[in-house]
Amino acid sequence: MFVENEGEEAVNCKICDRKADEGEFCALHLKAYENITNRYSVWRKALKISWKEYLNQIAKNSLTGTWVKEVTNYLIENGETRNVRQS
Amino acid sequence: MVKYTLIVTEKPDAASRIAEALDTAGKAKKILHKGVPYYLAQREEKIVVVPALGHLYTVVGETKGQGQYPVFKVKWVPKYEAERGAARIRVWLQTITKLAEDADTLIDACDYDIEGSIIGYCILKYACGGREKTSKRMKYFTLTKEELQKSYSSLLPNLDFALIEAGLARHEVDWLYGINLSRALTSAAKNSSGQYATLSTGRVQGPTLKFLATRERSIRCFVPTPYWKINAKVEIGNAVFEADHEKKVFETKGEAKAVITKCKGKNGEVKAVDPRKFMQTPPLPFDLGALQNEAYRFFGYTPMRTSSIAQRLYLGALISYPRTSNQKLPPEIGYEAILRNLAKNREFAKLAGELLAKSELKPTEGKKDDLAHPAIYPTGKLPEKMLVVSEKNIWNLVVRRFMAVFGEPAVRQIVEATINVNGEKFVLYGKQTMEEGWLHFYQPFMRGKDAVLPPMKEGQKITVKQVTLEDKFTKPPPRYNPSSLLKKMEEADLGTKATRAGLMQTLYDRKYIRDDRIEVTDLGFEVTDVLRKYCPSVVSVEFTRKLEEEMNEVIKGKLTREQILSDAVEILTTVTTSLKENEIAIGDQLSRAVNKSKLEEKVIGACPTCKNGKLLILYSKKTRKRFAGCTNYFKGTCRTTFPLPQKGFLKLTSKACKACNWPTLLVWLKGRQPWKLCLNTECSLKTRGKKR
Repeated sequence: MFVENEGEEAVNCKICDRKADEGEFCALHLKAYENITNRYSVWRKALKISWKEYLNQIAKNSLTGTWVKEVTNYLIENGETRNVRQS
Repeated sequence: MVKYTLIVTEKPDAASRIAEALDTAGKAKKILHKGVPYYLAQREEKIVVVPALGHLYTVVGETKGQGQYPVFKVKWVPKYEAERGAARIRVWLQTITKLAEDADTLIDACDYDIEGSIIGYCILKYACGGREKTSKRMKYFTLTKEELQKSYSSLLPNLDFALIEAGLARHEVDWLYGINLSRALTSAAKNSSGQYATLSTGRVQGPTLKFLATRERSIRCFVPTPYWKINAKVEIGNAVFEADHEKKVFETKGEAKAVITKCKGKNGEVKAVDPRKFMQTPPLPFDLGALQNEAYRFFGYTPMRTSSIAQRLYLGALISYPRTSNQKLPPEIGYEAILRNLAKNREFAKLAGELLAKSELKPTEGKKDDLAHPAIYPTGKLPEKMLVVSEKNIWNLVVRRFMAVFGEPAVRQIVEATINVNGEKFVLYGKQTMEEGWLHFYQPFMRGKDAVLPPMKEGQKITVKQVTLEDKFTKPPPRYNPSSLLKKMEEADLGTKATRAGLMQTLYDRKYIRDDRIEVTDLGFEVTDVLRKYCPSVVSVEFTRKLEEEMNEVIKGKLTREQILSDAVEILTTVTTSLKENEIAIGDQLSRAVNKSKLEEKVIGACPTCKNGKLLILYSKKTRKRFAGCTNYFKGTCRTTFPLPQKGFLKLTSKACKACNWPTLLVWLKGRQPWKLCLNTECSLKTRGKKR
């Protein structure tokens, strides 16, 4: 999903319109996405929650960074299921 | 024609003070020549004191060409040739030149630091017919009469040319970096979008912005994680205290809940009481950075504001020269005399008296040294006129800090009491001052208030009122504020004590950062990204630090200004080539950020109708009248508009209406108080007004 096909034109980030370095996101939102996936294991251990519940929790948390919130909302809206197997 | 001695000072206030101090009768005569003031003082000889207005000369490129880069050759010219709005400097320089013609001795009495030395040097060289080599130098730390007279009677035979060379090198190198990099960014954005926007960066600005961008990135990419804390409210005597569970952090809710269940309905017993005494040494004397930090902490003054207040106090002879990085107070400043004078002030009389009663006055000192000036200290002179609140605050802070450094160490005690509740350990913390020492002199500016615990014994039974579980989340790293950024710049050796506060202001002016709790804007991110991608060395702290070290080598005479300049040109040749080669990509990236930043300036708030659009201030093509409209209008999905007042200046508040949560604007009309306008025509605040 996150690998650009060879020969295809460069695409813009789905969230901010910056040039996407890899796949759907620009470097800044990609970093936010990586943090979201990395932190899931801590939340799962602490609260025994699913990936979907996790996304909803961080989306409404006031301490969550703005880029993380943007990526989270995008993932929720697009029914992101990549990490479902982890839950 | 009677010959005289001409003294050149940095600012008009300093000229007036010096003239008064040197005049035998203490009454120098002020003369205005085409609006330029100068002073006549009579001693054994006639003295004329003429001020500058800070820098009267500046660096420009040798060849003219607006926006052209690279530029590698520089020269010094009068400021009026290079800057708009500096026209009165022409008359100022003409006056100085005229006064220098009949002077047999020239004295540079500008502030004794790099900037002051350059100001004096340029005037003596360019406006006084190249007499910089035969001029003498006045060196003083305060503008008190005694010190100025002493300084005049023991003039330094020459200007400090090593310091001047380092200063000239710094100005020229900074100008080369600033002009070439800024022009590269500005021209790339302009060529891409066809619109002009000033984009600047520089040798110090780049790395500083990078610090901020790195922190901002961590904040924006932050994912909080949950954890739990447990505390117990315990009753000792008639008071209730809060004790923390010995395990500070519970990573799972299950584990935390198990502890709560275990402690429910149980009382406790004191397991151990561990009192520990420690000494708190007096603070170090103020250098400018420390003063700026303390003033931000207590009064919320920005470093720039503190710097300008301190400068006013210095010109009023109330404190010593503030732009110093020294943390030492040499005995020559006369501790006793200062304290004796401070004792004449009712507020400080008792404290100063206590210090004067000591057998020896020895200040606590730090490691940092500055050959030009000692740490900041009060001169002992009391204000002749009422000080404004901000001046009084800073003066009070400087006086109390000065007294505190002569105080004894404070003795404080920390008590840690462990309470056992059904096998779970809770810890109660207390803090108490046993001997006040220097804290007595530094009130009310001391940190860490006392929290005294009642006496406790091992085995003592404790009533537990409640055991609570607190839901917590990890927090993102804190944003920099002006004070913490200043500290960070100091640690990284970025800029000088004199330039840091101004540089921070430039970042705000360029809209790279905003707010007191500093937030980097999208434009700030893009500029950092461009520099990081195409010229990483320019934003590297190591690179700037190395240059600072080289400047110090110039002061020591181990390196020359020419060597530093030639190194800078070599680096800039590579950097500007890379920027030129990638101009299209850079321009595209920057112009998008500039447009976004311009758009943000027009955003009033979120559209209350469609929720995902933004309301902008727009102008009708037909009537030229302004109104608020939704950005989704252009996509054809929202046609929301609101009328706006046609007269007055509209200022964005980025705050929602307290009553209805709709976007608001501030309206400024000439001669009227600004008023807040809520866009909601049905807002309850408006309808309430109508009913009345």
